[in-house]
Amino acid sequence: MDRRHFLGQSAAGLGLLAGFSTQARASLQKAEIVVVGGGYGGATAAKYLRLLSNNTARVTLIEPNASFISCPMSNLVVGGSRTLSELTSPYDNLSKRHGIKIIQDSVASIEADQKTVKLASGKTLRYDKLVVSPGISMLMNSVEGLVQANKDGITLQAWKAGAETVALHKQVASMPDGGTFVLSIPEAPYRCPPGPYERACQVANYLKQHKSKSKVIILDANQDVTSKGGLFKKVWAEQYPGMIDYRPKHNVVGVDAKTKTVKLEVQDDVKGDVLNILPAMSAGEIAVKTGLANSNGRWVNVNYLNFESTARKDIHVLGDSIQVAPLMPKSGHMANQHAKVAAAAIVAELSGWEINPAPVLTNTCYSFVNTRDVVHVASVHQYNAAEKTFKTVPGSGGLSPEASALEGVYAWGWARNIWADSLG
Amino acid sequence: MPMQYLKPIFMASALIGLSQWSITASAQNADATKLYNRSLAATCANCHGTNGIGVPEAGMPLINGYNSEQLLASLRAYKSGAREGTIMPQLAKGYTDEQLQTIANQLGKKQ
Repeated sequence: MDRRHFLGQSAAGLGLLAGFSTQARASLQKAEIVVVGGGYGGATAAKYLRLLSNNTARVTLIEPNASFISCPMSNLVVGGSRTLSELTSPYDNLSKRHGIKIIQDSVASIEADQKTVKLASGKTLRYDKLVVSPGISMLMNSVEGLVQANKDGITLQAWKAGAETVALHKQVASMPDGGTFVLSIPEAPYRCPPGPYERACQVANYLKQHKSKSKVIILDANQDVTSKGGLFKKVWAEQYPGMIDYRPKHNVVGVDAKTKTVKLEVQDDVKGDVLNILPAMSAGEIAVKTGLANSNGRWVNVNYLNFESTARKDIHVLGDSIQVAPLMPKSGHMANQHAKVAAAAIVAELSGWEINPAPVLTNTCYSFVNTRDVVHVASVHQYNAAEKTFKTVPGSGGLSPEASALEGVYAWGWARNIWADSLG
Repeated sequence: MPMQYLKPIFMASALIGLSQWSITASAQNADATKLYNRSLAATCANCHGTNGIGVPEAGMPLINGYNSEQLLASLRAYKSGAREGTIMPQLAKGYTDEQLQTIANQLGKKQ
């Protein structure tokens, strides 16, 4: 038994003798809280666990990357108007300002029965509370030939911001004038509902300036544009006339990297010069591997009051990995909001208090339709105790009336503030 | 320690615990309410900064110069439609009047 474990047991023993309140206070201070994943969900959870416990909770964050790269705004990098470094934030404020222990590693396995986490480096961590925020996993095998096409560097996804984002822009920049950029969208739910349509705008915006004879074909498995549909269609017609060919109900089932051909479930093959194929998605790999993805084997059912997995006690799951409540998007903003509800609930539980019976979430999502103008969608989600889910408030939320430069300013304001709120 | 020996200790501690619970319950409830209020106000932090302290010159209107009354007046005006905006009128309509009051109290500038 290590020293920390021994102290924890002794404190619990003292708490037992002295009564509930001492025990409760001891458990918040002594509990080992481990957060897996430093994205919008995990980083925010780590920070707010410290803030909401008045810096008494012990929090360890495990994240494989040395710095945080934002997925929101990364379509501007694909379009070539921004660089990845503008979307990158360090992790060290979480340790310097907030006293969070950061381990740069990835999680190899979670042993829920033993309440331990095994790291890729071989180290094992014990936890009392585990927060898992692993984002999404690409189901590459859902499209025939996609694994190989990605391995060969021919078909990129760039749906997690990083090296692929830059590489995809290079592919667009090397396209011949008169070439075709093919973007495919899986059936919802997937990460960032309006993201693909924003990407189409950014690529078209680049092509309009540099290769004006080129085209963008969107192959969408869904019935129609899944988010901000009217706004995007208006922009496509007005700002990119004849350039964006939107095809709903086009489900991609295969890709031939050699001939750069996309195979569809129903319609004829489509050829392109750059193929950006987004396959179906699921909860992050570690969540699926741990047996947490108990909604169709793809997403994690949680108790929305504290984001605890319904499959495993003391494992709280946040962000894109969860089975969402109605009209709840898989977005970075939403992951940050999940994290605050979960952090408050964990602090309350470890303090021996009732967890908040009426949490609230908001979502705000800005999409750039060119390099300056932006459209938004916003919503407010109140917990409904009778239905045990979050529901949007009638009459609240909504869309921009039209794309505007003012909202472009706000979009950058949003980005800089959410980065600071999650990591600063 | 075998379970049968722990049992009477637990019973005794539960009794002591109950008496302590009644004394500390109100203090705990106050702390819990404070926690809920902080987490409610944190729904604003994505755009307006942790504890309402936004990133200067980032492009988002800063709210940290206002006191609670000013913030509440603004939030109510967004909710009623008296004040126009882009996202704020849509978000303010999603909160109850009581929640807006709590947010204003939490994020208002303390003198």
